Amino acid sequence: MRIERKIVLSDMFNLILIFLIGSFAIQNLNLMLTKFRFIEIADDLNVAFLEMRLSEKNYFLYHDENALLEIQSDIESTMKIMNSVKNDIVRAIDIKQYNTLGSYLKSYAGVVGQIMKHKARDKKSEWSLRAEGKKLKEYSDRITREERIHISEIIYKSKQILFYSFFAILLIAAMVNRVVSKMILRSIKEIENMAKSISSGNFKKIKTSPPKDELGSIIHAINAMSDELKNREEELIQSKKLASIGILIAGVAHEINNPLNNISMVAQTYMDLYEKLTKEQRIEFMEKVEIQTERIKTIVNNLLDFAKPKEPTLIMTDMSTLIRQTLKLVQNMLEISNIETELDLAQNLPLVYVDVHQMQQVLVNIIVNAIQAMSTHGILSINTRFSKKDNIVETDIKDTGKGIPVEFLPHLFDPFFSTKDEGGTGLGLWVSYGIIKKHDGSIKVESSPGSGTVFTIQLPILSKKGAANE
Amino acid sequence: MSKRIMIIDDEKIVCEMAKISLEEDSYEVETFLNGTSALERLEQRKFDVVVTDLKMKGIDGLQVLKTVKENYPDTKVIMITAFANLDIAIEAIKGDVFDFFPKPVKIKELKASIQKALSE
Repeated sequence: MRIERKIVLSDMFNLILIFLIGSFAIQNLNLMLTKFRFIEIADDLNVAFLEMRLSEKNYFLYHDENALLEIQSDIESTMKIMNSVKNDIVRAIDIKQYNTLGSYLKSYAGVVGQIMKHKARDKKSEWSLRAEGKKLKEYSDRITREERIHISEIIYKSKQILFYSFFAILLIAAMVNRVVSKMILRSIKEIENMAKSISSGNFKKIKTSPPKDELGSIIHAINAMSDELKNREEELIQSKKLASIGILIAGVAHEINNPLNNISMVAQTYMDLYEKLTKEQRIEFMEKVEIQTERIKTIVNNLLDFAKPKEPTLIMTDMSTLIRQTLKLVQNMLEISNIETELDLAQNLPLVYVDVHQMQQVLVNIIVNAIQAMSTHGILSINTRFSKKDNIVETDIKDTGKGIPVEFLPHLFDPFFSTKDEGGTGLGLWVSYGIIKKHDGSIKVESSPGSGTVFTIQLPILSKKGAANE
Repeated sequence: MSKRIMIIDDEKIVCEMAKISLEEDSYEVETFLNGTSALERLEQRKFDVVVTDLKMKGIDGLQVLKTVKENYPDTKVIMITAFANLDIAIEAIKGDVFDFFPKPVKIKELKASIQKALSE
């Protein structure tokens, strides 16, 4: 769900709650107003009934002839009032009570009519009028009292309900907000994690099916970017390859021209001085030619190795073991140069898929470089470790040699680049770089003059498929 | 008195073959495998012609040429290189190189060039 929708939904929920409580309050208020209106009317009626009762007294006790007329006129006006505000009364009390009150008033009016007709003042008439009057007044008082109680109840109930619903709203709003903000924060957190992962160099596509929210949009964007980066990377690799070919051609020209020139010069001298040369000298000259052709052969073989690599035979290998085996190959060189080895090889490393022969070639290249950089009495340190975070096995090969000037570092893996005074073909690290790349790994170098050099080889775990596809 | 020729090349065979061939023509020849030792020697003795390789570790042929032209203007410099690169040739000629030979070098042509340099 999109963040915007989450917020809108949460707001809607809160609004509905507020609306419900507001409606309830308004409804209660209306009910109370109706009841109050009734109480107002009832009070007027009660006053009129009281006056009627007083007139009864005047008629029977003080023989006031006009008293019955007053009662009649009061009854008439009361009936008018009751008719005119019938709706207001019926809304507050039910129609049954209204009718009862009306019938009591009518029967009272009937008794008054009878007494007036006969001008009766006997006890029976007095008792009957008094009884009807009392019944009417008491009934009116009773419904008035009941409605007052009713109003109190409504006020009390409203107060309670408003009080509790206020806290309920607060609680629910807080909970809904918490849930919604958690959902939003979770999305933002995931976005943040992705951003961190990208900034730490992970440009791979995100495989999980993207949710339909902002996170999903970002995953789509990242995947599009990843594709674009991959295209760019391929272009870059292609252009680097072209640049490498340029360097390669220049290097080949120079590297092959030198032994060719040597052969040519030996041949020219041999021809010029043939008669003067002793037999031994002639053989010596031809040996020089042979050595130079070997030199050309080595260059050509190295080039072929790189240009037409054999399909690597990948087997599951423990790097620590492979390093121990490789060190045996260079043991003699290490002893001659009086170089100590310090090994810190991790036990139970996860296995990596490597072509043992090629990987040994890489290790030998780097170790021989290290030995040559240290000349004598140096320390060669090799350590292996597993990086759980990146799922790779790392190997550091460190020497205490003279180091490599900073300006040479970018060219270290270029073909025919050599910092050795003599005898370096400049192809060793170039070939090593190609081998490591074919294994889906990477090779880095850190060095500064005087403080030695560290080569770090990183190989991914279980990358047989990746390496075989190269 | 025989003319003195200096050969500088990090390829040992070049030095050896040039020395044998030039000594046949009665030149006095000294060879050096790098620019540094050659320049040190130049401070001690005067040479008539310096034949130097262009691309060498440390002090290269262009630096040798520059030093020679600054300090020993009478000495002629002949450049040889395995880099048959026109740009570098132009750069070398700008620096007043007497002659320029791409490898493989024809010894006869080199001898002719040395002779020409000495007769100027």
